[in-house]
Amino acid sequence: MKKLLWVVVLAVMGFTWVFTLSAWAAYPEKAVTVICPWGAGGGTDRLARFLADELSKKFGQPFTVVNKTGGGGAVGHAAGAYAPPDGYTITIVTLELATMHWMGLTDLTYEAFDYIAQVNEDAAGVTVKADAPWKNLKELLDDIKANPGKLLFSGVAAGGIWDLARIGMLHAAGLPVDSVKWIPSTTGAAQALTELLGGHVHVVTCSLAEAAPYIKSGQARALAVMADERLPAFPDVPTLKELGINWSAGTWRGVGVPKGTPAEIKKKLEDAIIEIANSEAFKKFMETNGFGIKVRRGEEFRKFVEEQDKAWKTVLELGGYLKK
Amino acid sequence: MSYLLSILSLKVLFPLLLSMAFGVFVGAMPGLTATMAVALIIPLTYYMEPLTGLAMVIGVSFTAIFAGDIPATFLRIPGTPASGAAVLDGFEMNKKGKGALALTLDLFCSALGGLIGVLILIFTAPPLAEVALKFTHFEYFWLGVFGLSMAAVLSRGNTIKGLLSALFGLLISTIGIDVTTGYPRFTFGITELMDGVSFIPAMIGLFGISEVLKRLSFRESLDLPSVKINGKLDVLEALKLMYRNKFIIIRSSLIGTFIGALPGAGADIAAWVAYGAEKSLSGNEIGSGSPRGVIAPTSANNAAIGGTWIPALALGIPGDSITAIVLGAMLMYGLKPGPLIFAQSKDLVYQIFAVALLVQIMLLPVGWLGIKAFSRLVSLRAGVVMSAVVLFSMVGSYAIRNSVFDIWLMALFGLLGYVMEKINMPLAPMVLALILGRMIEDNLRIGLIKSGGSIIPFLTRPISLILFSLIVLTLLGPSIWKVVRKLKD
Repeated sequence: MKKLLWVVVLAVMGFTWVFTLSAWAAYPEKAVTVICPWGAGGGTDRLARFLADELSKKFGQPFTVVNKTGGGGAVGHAAGAYAPPDGYTITIVTLELATMHWMGLTDLTYEAFDYIAQVNEDAAGVTVKADAPWKNLKELLDDIKANPGKLLFSGVAAGGIWDLARIGMLHAAGLPVDSVKWIPSTTGAAQALTELLGGHVHVVTCSLAEAAPYIKSGQARALAVMADERLPAFPDVPTLKELGINWSAGTWRGVGVPKGTPAEIKKKLEDAIIEIANSEAFKKFMETNGFGIKVRRGEEFRKFVEEQDKAWKTVLELGGYLKK
Repeated sequence: MSYLLSILSLKVLFPLLLSMAFGVFVGAMPGLTATMAVALIIPLTYYMEPLTGLAMVIGVSFTAIFAGDIPATFLRIPGTPASGAAVLDGFEMNKKGKGALALTLDLFCSALGGLIGVLILIFTAPPLAEVALKFTHFEYFWLGVFGLSMAAVLSRGNTIKGLLSALFGLLISTIGIDVTTGYPRFTFGITELMDGVSFIPAMIGLFGISEVLKRLSFRESLDLPSVKINGKLDVLEALKLMYRNKFIIIRSSLIGTFIGALPGAGADIAAWVAYGAEKSLSGNEIGSGSPRGVIAPTSANNAAIGGTWIPALALGIPGDSITAIVLGAMLMYGLKPGPLIFAQSKDLVYQIFAVALLVQIMLLPVGWLGIKAFSRLVSLRAGVVMSAVVLFSMVGSYAIRNSVFDIWLMALFGLLGYVMEKINMPLAPMVLALILGRMIEDNLRIGLIKSGGSIIPFLTRPISLILFSLIVLTLLGPSIWKVVRKLKD
């Protein structure tokens, strides 16, 4: 009797093993949900829809984008992180994953995700109106030093990425972080750039990609970019590092899955995303949207997010946004 | 003229017609907004020519804003946020059995308002966009206050309860992350409340669900048809009314276009301001089913769409959430919206204008079919229609950001609306405060950051001063007028 029981147990285990293996081998065998933590029509949404389209073609199963917005990205990221780890829910993760928990907006940290690949990075810029008096970044910083508290900076809501980029830049340049005023923008870069063109704020620190249309039409000028190297789209705009300020900052986007997703599925997804990221169609898509391409594979991406998580804590503390 | 002819090809007209039919559906479905429709259409248009894509966006947005007024009239549920103001008199007219007339007025006024908005766009886009740029936090603060002062106008005759309703709305609008400090307020740890109470579920609940609850209290009415439709539109009567009120149409369309052109305000606020202006000028009859209360908001909200394209084309700055998506798409098409677009892509700009004009004409037959189809649906037994309303209210509340939380929120506001109406507290001031509360608070506080805590710029900047004076005149005007007349005697 005991023997028989053992046989049954082993048989069941064997079957389970075979079936799960074949399930992995067949992934995906039904529709996959792609969670976008930001609204329809925005930059992250456009990227999500492009990736979903390409993944659908690659795997022959529909990849459907679902916009789960709210809480400054917290709602969507949480929905993606706490979904069943079976590969049928993937999430477009964005930089806010490394900042919002420090501000006390959510309990979710980067550790709730496994990382598939990063595909994008957009560096912050220092953009002024075309007829602004500062010819270069040095003149701007000198003005700030001479008249602390006079200049108005904008780009995003308080504690958002472009605010943090501004804080880091001032700190790295040896200026107090309150030597300029941060004017919060309720709808992100678009409103800040409107204010800039109207002459109501002096400097916008949103990504050069977002400011690009106005720079190209001659309504605005870029004084610097907060990247390690000059951007291909803006070869004339110097980096902060060239100007002796050791600081770079920007947003990034990538693909994550809930922690504990089977390694075989992660591998399949990673290979597919890397293949897409190397395609001509992707390069063209990113170029027309003004997005920067930066590809990091799973493990490398995870390390990067970990570093980001540490780096932003310091900056949030400088700005007084850290929740004790 | 040649531009008009150039768009009369099948590869433009057919997708345009499809998008307009889609717009009727989206607009008439509570919770599905014109913005969502545009976001869904845009990815399809990447495989088309830019003109076809833009034609579809224009078609869907004008049609959806019109169609939002259909459920507003029949069911008291605004189909899109821009129809909030159209609910009041439209539904009252429907209750009096004049639903068909209200919708005919709505259709004609939408087309005419849209036309006026587009004409202003064509002839004054660059200079008007420059004026819009002059608006910043100080001016938007007063614009918000001006809008909110309509709450006082809306609750005339019931002032205490009206103001209580507005105050309650203001209180609710303080929920969410404070943009000036990045700190969440009154969210009680609920992530879904971080961005504040979602406006659309709140409005669907307040107006729609509360109406369903009200009907439920009279069981016998559920067996009757929910709407009595005599089957045909009152074209002659509507045209007569419009001719008599032509200045209201023109004034509301001008208000709508201008507010639409401001990057910080859109069709929903435009409709309320036009409605409030009408009410404060022509008295208490508005709000109890007056055709003028239908004419003003429905002209203004469609005129606002033309307005939103003014800063979008002239400066590359979005006038609302729809044009924000359109600007992203234009970059994908390789176009550069902004001062140079009139030089670099002149043909396309004029073709866009031609499409926008054509849409206003096509809106008449398409909208007529939409009204027909919708009135068929709602003339079923009230019990059936009300169940469908609840179902669609749930779907609509969920769809706005795929959140079950918003369904509960909608139900809660439905209950709240029911109770408020039971004790004779008007709903409109609360809705107005919900829309404008955040705008007023954020702009006041950001303005104060800018000025270093001084209120001087709120009063000394030219446009601020004009807006401030307008508010004082609206609120004190009638009393001053009385005093002047007494002195004369």
